[in-house]
Amino acid sequence: MLQLQNKILTLISFLLLFFVFTADLEAQSYITEEGYVEFKSSAPLLTFKGTSNHLTGLIDLDQNLVDFYVDLTTLDTGINLRNRHMRNSYLETDKFPFAEFTGSMNSIFDPESTGKQEVTVMGAFTIHGVTREMEITGTLERMSDEIELIATWTVLLEDHNIDRPSVIFYELAEEQEVTIKALLKLQND
Amino acid sequence: MKKTLSLIIVLSIISLFLAESAFAQLERTRVQEVRPVELTFMAPRNINLYTVEPLSPGELHYSIMHTFGRVDSGIRNLWGIDQGANVRFSFEYGLTERLSLGFGRSSLDKVVDFTGRYALLKQMSDNSIPVSVSLNTSAGINTSSFGFLAEDYTFSDRLNFTGSLLIARKITENFSLQVSPTVVHFNRVGQETNVADTDLNTYYAIGVATRYKIKPRTAVSGQYIPTLNGENTSYNLALGIDIETGGHVFQMFFTTSRALNDQYLIAGENGDFFDRQFRFGFNVNRLFNIRGR
Repeated sequence: MLQLQNKILTLISFLLLFFVFTADLEAQSYITEEGYVEFKSSAPLLTFKGTSNHLTGLIDLDQNLVDFYVDLTTLDTGINLRNRHMRNSYLETDKFPFAEFTGSMNSIFDPESTGKQEVTVMGAFTIHGVTREMEITGTLERMSDEIELIATWTVLLEDHNIDRPSVIFYELAEEQEVTIKALLKLQND
Repeated sequence: MKKTLSLIIVLSIISLFLAESAFAQLERTRVQEVRPVELTFMAPRNINLYTVEPLSPGELHYSIMHTFGRVDSGIRNLWGIDQGANVRFSFEYGLTERLSLGFGRSSLDKVVDFTGRYALLKQMSDNSIPVSVSLNTSAGINTSSFGFLAEDYTFSDRLNFTGSLLIARKITENFSLQVSPTVVHFNRVGQETNVADTDLNTYYAIGVATRYKIKPRTAVSGQYIPTLNGENTSYNLALGIDIETGGHVFQMFFTTSRALNDQYLIAGENGDFFDRQFRFGFNVNRLFNIRGR
């Protein structure tokens, strides 16, 4: 009786170890902490970009999870006073430090094939504390143990309660074109 | 044996959970936990006083300031507007994160001045540094024609100076306060100069500047500069509104003095604010980026 119990326990142990082991092996998550993000404002009199190289992101192919965020205090428009006003008067980064996107891929990404693949991602985009459901189309390209991601979409300031005084319509556009570009590396646990 | 196996089971289950959680959303972390406090004031200038708001290397701050005639001159003079404006324009350029140099010209006594600001301390978000402190200096040259005077007016006679220590704190998100002990010196004073006490060369004063944000891009600003010595000197009092429009900062105010630079604000005459002896004034501030990145 005791013998049998031990055998069962041994079996369970090995099965569990196997699961843990294979779960790690099959983990197909790619991460980056230095992706590029750009917010482009094209107003009648002024076009400018805010850019950052602190985009942090995860693409988990097993769980079909796409998760990105950027610390908005790292956005640089090229003029420091403009940055200060952007952080304090528009994005309010003390209260809302991050822009983030969490979602999943609608289309199947084949990690085995090379070349650019168009993918559509559905998820929640949050900036200035306001979350909107979004569908974003971009491309993924597999390069050995890395994936390059490029995506562009449009954010309306009004959708996220980012106040834009009407008198400055000529300097700050209501539509911000967001572009992200990141090289994500296969995560080794 | 049994114990060992049980341990393996427990550990395996724990690691399964751990592995699971590692696949979830990324943890949000800020790039810099502690940041310098920003926009203590809306511009490098609050009404007439320089502030601790620094320029970055390569930034050029242009400001044009005006004060008109006294409001109590009545509607016939459009409350002072008819009397024309005293104008000061100035350029200031950021050389480093801390040092900026500038020059300006005021129509009052036709003074050309050279200014320097140096940021000694910057207030930090975790209060490790509770205040921002800057050193502010100015040297002015009175370029008026003194040909009508019998005696000579040397270059040295024409010089005047300001030194002040700007100490500021953004006390709440909306309210900022700056206090600046100031010394002003005129190499030569007299009836021909627009100073309050024509026998006094050196003046001491405390500059107080306040800003209260009422909307994200609009603030009410105040200025109070009591001059501590001299006959006929009193205090400057001004009240204004700052509007930031995405590049420009407009400042409209009522002030008791014609003066637009430190030397004359402190040594010059002031009206009584509470007897309608104030003037309308406005500033336009604009920042340019000269050095491309």
